[in-house]
Amino acid sequence: MSNNWEMVIGLEVHAQLKTSSKLFSSSPNQFGSEPNENVNFIDSGMPGMLPVMNFGCIEMAIKTGYALNFKINKYSVFERKNYFYPDLPQGYQISQFEFPILSEGYINIDSVDNQKKIRIERAHLEQDAGKSIHDIDPKYSFIDLNRVGTPLLEIVSYPDLSSADEVINYMSSLRQLLMYIDVCDGNMQEGSLRADVNLSVRKKGQELGTRCEIKNLNSFKFIKQAIEYEFQRQINIIDGGGEIEQNTMLFDTSTGETRAMRSKEFSHDYRYFPDPDLLPVNLSQEQIDKIKPLVGELPQDKLNKYVHNYSLDKEIAKIIIAEKQNANLFEKMISETTVKPKFIAAWLVGDIFAFIKENNLEVNNLNDKTKDITDLLRLISDDVISNKAGKEILPKVLNGEGKPSELVKELGLEQVSDSVELEKIIDDALVGEEENILKFQGGSDRVLGYFVGKCLKATKGKGNPKLINKILLERLKK
Amino acid sequence: MSDIDIKRISYLAKLKLPSEKEEFYTNSLKDIIKWVDNLKKVDTSKTEPLHNVTEKTVSIRNDEVSKSNSVDDVLSNAPERAQNFFKVPKVVE
Repeated sequence: MSNNWEMVIGLEVHAQLKTSSKLFSSSPNQFGSEPNENVNFIDSGMPGMLPVMNFGCIEMAIKTGYALNFKINKYSVFERKNYFYPDLPQGYQISQFEFPILSEGYINIDSVDNQKKIRIERAHLEQDAGKSIHDIDPKYSFIDLNRVGTPLLEIVSYPDLSSADEVINYMSSLRQLLMYIDVCDGNMQEGSLRADVNLSVRKKGQELGTRCEIKNLNSFKFIKQAIEYEFQRQINIIDGGGEIEQNTMLFDTSTGETRAMRSKEFSHDYRYFPDPDLLPVNLSQEQIDKIKPLVGELPQDKLNKYVHNYSLDKEIAKIIIAEKQNANLFEKMISETTVKPKFIAAWLVGDIFAFIKENNLEVNNLNDKTKDITDLLRLISDDVISNKAGKEILPKVLNGEGKPSELVKELGLEQVSDSVELEKIIDDALVGEEENILKFQGGSDRVLGYFVGKCLKATKGKGNPKLINKILLERLKK
Repeated sequence: MSDIDIKRISYLAKLKLPSEKEEFYTNSLKDIIKWVDNLKKVDTSKTEPLHNVTEKTVSIRNDEVSKSNSVDDVLSNAPERAQNFFKVPKVVE
């Protein structure tokens, strides 16, 4: 039934900027402190306190402007968005309305069979609100104002998204970019990145329907669930002859359902007006240009570099660039060794990532081990030890149990690459094998594998397989 | 002139308005709007909008932390306090 229907989605993403201090006060911008620890009289909305703009927030907004292909506006204005709620002690949120700092950007995301351009209408700076805790006391709410005044960049897309998967791709691309340029820690669980989803449905090819906004989703899983539920809910209403009412919805994470927020007696009217406490932001071209070099390499730049300069497979390169810390680790290793990047990459996305996952580590935990890792990879790529021996030693190296060369000696894993020694072993192995030798010379390649296996066994697995192969072929072809 | 919905305005401003005062405030607001309507007669089609009467730009500070008030300072005006939280009548959306 839902085959004729399509969804049209626009996203409002709130990204907490990782400045040291808040947007308009010098209180610490920090998650996880004791309640009301990071609050001063500006944050708590005391009368007579004046907000002072943190230039770090402007810098981060400009960096975002470059990374998301925005037009960076020299002129922007802070306004008051008025509403009453206990975790907003000022009685208004300072935000940007008519004149945002960034406008008309875009990013490209992976879609069904190719890339899709998602246009972004605007991004503006605003204050976050505090937190209300409703489940401690049946009659009271408890208010923690630590989050009040945390700088947010609200990034508002056009309704260019048409499936839950596209929304997830868009959101993760944004997250990746913001983390690359170091303006947001991307921690969705802690609320550093949250999304409001605007969704409407229509029959294919028809005009836009009435949209509903699902507020404050903070995980990819919830975003997907909420979209799928809301899509079906709207279709059911229309199929049943009803009409969609424009509404603000909440997503109930325990039931996986969306529901309208308790209906208000009157609709909201935020009565925006320019904040008289804050003059307009007037940036010079010079101030904007100065930020550009701070943007650094973006994921797409790295992908191109890895594929073209380092000859990595695209899929492997994508795994490495997915997180900036992966890319940093990879590039640190490249800078410390002459082992081929492709060889390093294969070990990184293979055994090294597996080790990180098994031991619940962060990629960053290995930053001080890169020299040992590349020393080990050197031994493997120079055939001093076998691949198999490398896999055995790697966890010990990563656990800091010793230097690779010492571990190789200790465990007796040095590969036999002495051709005189190997020739002797091979000659011994070929004794009494006349029948098989004839088979090989008659064209049966399978016999070669049998011989290699036999020789390896004679070296207790320590013989260099490549060399064994080479010598064997010389002997057998005689 | 636009109609004035005094009930809605007082709701948005979180003000309790006794019903016998509604007419008085409606008329006061109408006077203000009449005055604004007068201002609107000025031709501003060739004037750039002005967001602030000074020509200056916002004053800025560097991104540095300083703690100026303690939890006790901040909670000293709280109507009620529970540990280090403000305690308020339950408000749930």
